Amino acid sequence: MSLIVLNGITKIFNRGRPDEFTALSDVSLEIEPRGLAVFRGPSGSGKTTLLSIVGCMAKPSAGRVLVKGREVTSLPDRFLTDIRRHTFGFIFQQLHLVRGISALENVILPAYPSGEGLASLRERGVRLLDLLGLAHRADTNVEWLSGGEAQRVAIARALINEPAIVIADEPTAHLDTKLSLDFMAAMERLKAEGKTILFASHDPLVYESTMVDRVLEMRDGRIVAERRAS
Amino acid sequence: MNWIDKQRNIVDFALSSLLRRWRKNLALLCVYTFVVFIVASVVFFAEALKRDACLVLEGAPDVVVQRLIAGRHDLISSGHMEKLARITGVSDVKGRLWAYYFEPSVGANYTMVVTEEAAGRPGTVAIGAGVSRTLLAGQGDLIAFRGHDGAYVSLEVARVFPSSSELVSADLVEISEEDFRALFGLPEGIYTDLTLRVRNPKETVVVADKIRRLLPDTRPILREEILRTYEALFDWRGGIVLAIFAGAALAFIIFAWDKATSLTLEERREIGILKAVGWETSEVIVMKSWEGIVISLTAFLLGLVLAYVHVFFTSGTLFEPVLKGWAVLYPRFQPVPFIDPYQVATLFFLTVVPYTVATVIPSWGAATIDPDTIMRQ
Amino acid sequence: MRLRKSSAFIAFTVINVTGLALLFAHGALERQRQAPVLSEKKIMVERFGLTDLCLFTDARYTRNPAVADRSTPFQDNPLSLDYFPSGSILPPPPHLRAHELDR
Ligand SMILES: Nc1ncnc2c1ncn2[C@@H]1O[C@H](COP(=O)(O)OP(=O)(O)OP(=O)(O)O)[C@@H](O)[C@H]1O
Ligand SMILES: [Mg+2]
Repeated sequence: MSLIVLNGITKIFNRGRPDEFTALSDVSLEIEPRGLAVFRGPSGSGKTTLLSIVGCMAKPSAGRVLVKGREVTSLPDRFLTDIRRHTFGFIFQQLHLVRGISALENVILPAYPSGEGLASLRERGVRLLDLLGLAHRADTNVEWLSGGEAQRVAIARALINEPAIVIADEPTAHLDTKLSLDFMAAMERLKAEGKTILFASHDPLVYESTMVDRVLEMRDGRIVAERRAS
Repeated sequence: MNWIDKQRNIVDFALSSLLRRWRKNLALLCVYTFVVFIVASVVFFAEALKRDACLVLEGAPDVVVQRLIAGRHDLISSGHMEKLARITGVSDVKGRLWAYYFEPSVGANYTMVVTEEAAGRPGTVAIGAGVSRTLLAGQGDLIAFRGHDGAYVSLEVARVFPSSSELVSADLVEISEEDFRALFGLPEGIYTDLTLRVRNPKETVVVADKIRRLLPDTRPILREEILRTYEALFDWRGGIVLAIFAGAALAFIIFAWDKATSLTLEERREIGILKAVGWETSEVIVMKSWEGIVISLTAFLLGLVLAYVHVFFTSGTLFEPVLKGWAVLYPRFQPVPFIDPYQVATLFFLTVVPYTVATVIPSWGAATIDPDTIMRQ
Repeated sequence: MRLRKSSAFIAFTVINVTGLALLFAHGALERQRQAPVLSEKKIMVERFGLTDLCLFTDARYTRNPAVADRSTPFQDNPLSLDYFPSGSILPPPPHLRAHELDR
């Protein structure tokens, strides 16, 4: 069974206004569990918009989204948040860590509302940081971290709720080659653990990587081509 | 328990969020604590004096009858006394002799009162602690009073009233009738005003009416009216309390306005991040409420503790200039800690609720943004 | 593990509430202790036939607000600016306002 099914997704911004803009038109797509898929395409082609709809962050203007076979487009926000929280982990292009608190606090932040005790949360957070080789920086305020360290904190944060799917938008846009390779190595480990990974990227280092299973070409809000690794 | 753990996690984050801007929040806390402190001090002080006044003035005469001539209080003669004594229900009509006396050397006003007890010891006075303080006169000292004819009369201080009674006696000079009349040149049968007892308390109003009809040049003042005067004076919806309240309320409004309109970019961004990493709108609002509660509850508790210490341990030092006014002679007293739980509860709601609401409302808008906006920043 | 922030806050609040409770307990004790002083003052009021507390001594109508008459400055308006500072914080006695019509 497909993990995620998109059915005729259209996203129109500012509908009915003079600046109405169709960012996605009639996109249909299935994403299977496990594996790494990359959306690539020119700027403005709708990659970020598509990822935010897949990740239940935004609702489509038309079409249906099914997560694990469950229709989510018609769900009220509260349930949508709940599904998002437990199914998706996000790594943002700008990282968006909360300044002024420690790396560890940033990592466990998404799990605060779950009601899990702080002690066990911290334990899990430290374990995640440890996996990413950052345990020694757990109590450092995030503004003192280097770019690469900060990104690993962001990765750990995406994983704290044990999501099935990790979504990253332009993860390597601000990284040099070495850090990009480190990042891809971390993703490879996640893939090996059985997570599903979705990227939007126009970095060849990402979409030409051998670990990519599927590249989806986007243009003007449509998927125009698809290449699967053999 | 799950719910408690969730709230504690959220409180943890709210606290780190406050600590991140500790300078601003500390300043807010100080200002707010100060506002609570001032308001609570006034409320404590006023309530204590009000209860004190009510208990103590229970001893006031049932009815005081004063004569008015041409709009001014004037001396009253024994002829009026006889007429009053004939009203049914009235007993114990007495002439009261009392006067204001201005002492130019220190610029103080005393209140001279004649009592029956003082009749036994002419040539002496008993004075309040305030008088003793301003004149530096103690037991055995002589005080010179300037009489109506310009001649000075020296009277010996027989006794100084205890300091604990200053709230009623600070400026009193107890004097014998004989000395009083000689000093002020008052003939026999003339009094400052009259007091009377009414046998049945239910009849006082009726008696007052009769007095007004029988002696149209007088006005009766009932004890109940005296008590109400003091209730109004210390009522927290009027008088002193209102004046200070108005100031505090204004400070609070400016303050809440500033809060309500100033969600920093940083705070907005943070709310966006929380939304994007999977917090619900309601959870963000709960977090912001905790921020408000932490500040306002702390300010409330600290303000109240400080106010209590201020009013009941240091006798309300900050109010002293207000109470002193231009007076040279003023009472020093330690208010008895009467506290009205209803007022404390009201204060609690007035402190914690509006502040928390003022914290939450601006965040509300920020918290309802779509979580995907953060992906585009 | 370091002290948790929420625990620190709860502890701080508990300390504050306890402090306040102790102060209020002090209040209750003090009220008992002061009861004789209050009755002593009441006896004094009875003995002298007093109508007022000695709060202000600067002006007649603030020394004896209960027996003040209509023609004192503060009757114009409560909180009016007055020659005497005490006059501006004293409201007029309610009975003066009440009797205005029937006199
Ligand atoms: N809130 C919005 N209102 C109006 N137009 C929007 C909004 N969000 C996105 N768009 C438009 O939708 C189009 C697709 O945007 P999207 O961010 O998905 O592109 P992208 O493929 O991620 O581009 P890039 O590679 O530059 O990140 C863009 O032309 C953008 O201007
Ligand atoms: Mg994009």
